[in-house]
Amino acid sequence: MHIPDAFMPISQGIIYWAIALVFIALSLRWVRQEMDETKVPLIAVLAAGIFAIQAFNLPVAMGTSGHLVGGALAAIVLGSPWAAVFILSLVLIVQGVIFGDGGITTMGANILNMGVIGGFVGFYSYKGLMAATRNMNISAFVAAWLACLIPALACAVEMWIAGTFPLALGLAGMGLYHAAIGIIEGGITVVALHLIASVRPDIVSVTKEVTT
Amino acid sequence: METRALVAAGIVLAILIGIAAVFLASPDPDGLESTALVVQGDKTLTGDTPPDARVNENSEGQFSYEAPLPDYSLGELWGRPGEILALAAGILVMVLLIFGISRLVVRPAK
Repeated sequence: MHIPDAFMPISQGIIYWAIALVFIALSLRWVRQEMDETKVPLIAVLAAGIFAIQAFNLPVAMGTSGHLVGGALAAIVLGSPWAAVFILSLVLIVQGVIFGDGGITTMGANILNMGVIGGFVGFYSYKGLMAATRNMNISAFVAAWLACLIPALACAVEMWIAGTFPLALGLAGMGLYHAAIGIIEGGITVVALHLIASVRPDIVSVTKEVTT
Repeated sequence: METRALVAAGIVLAILIGIAAVFLASPDPDGLESTALVVQGDKTLTGDTPPDARVNENSEGQFSYEAPLPDYSLGELWGRPGEILALAAGILVMVLLIFGISRLVVRPAK
């Protein structure tokens, strides 16, 4: 879902950057207010893990591959969508600047899609589903699936505004492929949540949600 | 798990994922590239991707940027070991970046 520079006019990229910068600033405020030194190692490990796993494309049929994005995972583990904005912004900056994965002018749009939309959709779907089902596995799987699908649909609309994709075909392609990729997102998110909660239940917000 | 051990285990796990990615990652295009190929007419929506299909990136009038380690590699000369090194470097940069920024904005533990 990493939009390259060539897929979007610079003028539109600047608008998405401006929106993304507001969210990045708010995520830094969240880090300052809500995080303390005890949680920094978990954030660092999550960021490193999300960066690594984003390089691991798995086949999803229809000639397409996909990888974990990690917005829902970061938001659920740290108990806030702002965690996803903070971590995904840094992951996307490193990917774009050092490895050319995703453009520079389109980085704002990528941060908006995967960090902001992915993080907020993932977190609030998880919260709502937990309240309704009391089942962490189902809630996290569906929340992560939605946190993959909805940003992809947003990306399709952005590609339409940019004149790169026609709207219907863009929505069909992005929706279909990311509905499949979302199964990977859901599965890995559930496994990672169990793994993290088993090694450090004290600093993971998800376990508090589960036990209350 | 103690915090230092958590960070060490996390970095080792991330590097193992990176190594697995170098050898096992699917060469198929991702969802956005696949959609671009469908829009170009080089792929059907549900069909396989032809091996020679390439996404047309019209860079005319667009910003262009040469990343130092494009495609998570150190270049053809280094091959797969270079890809592993590139990913390991990325993982370390992520960890250092988080600790660096946190040092600036995070309040000390009580």
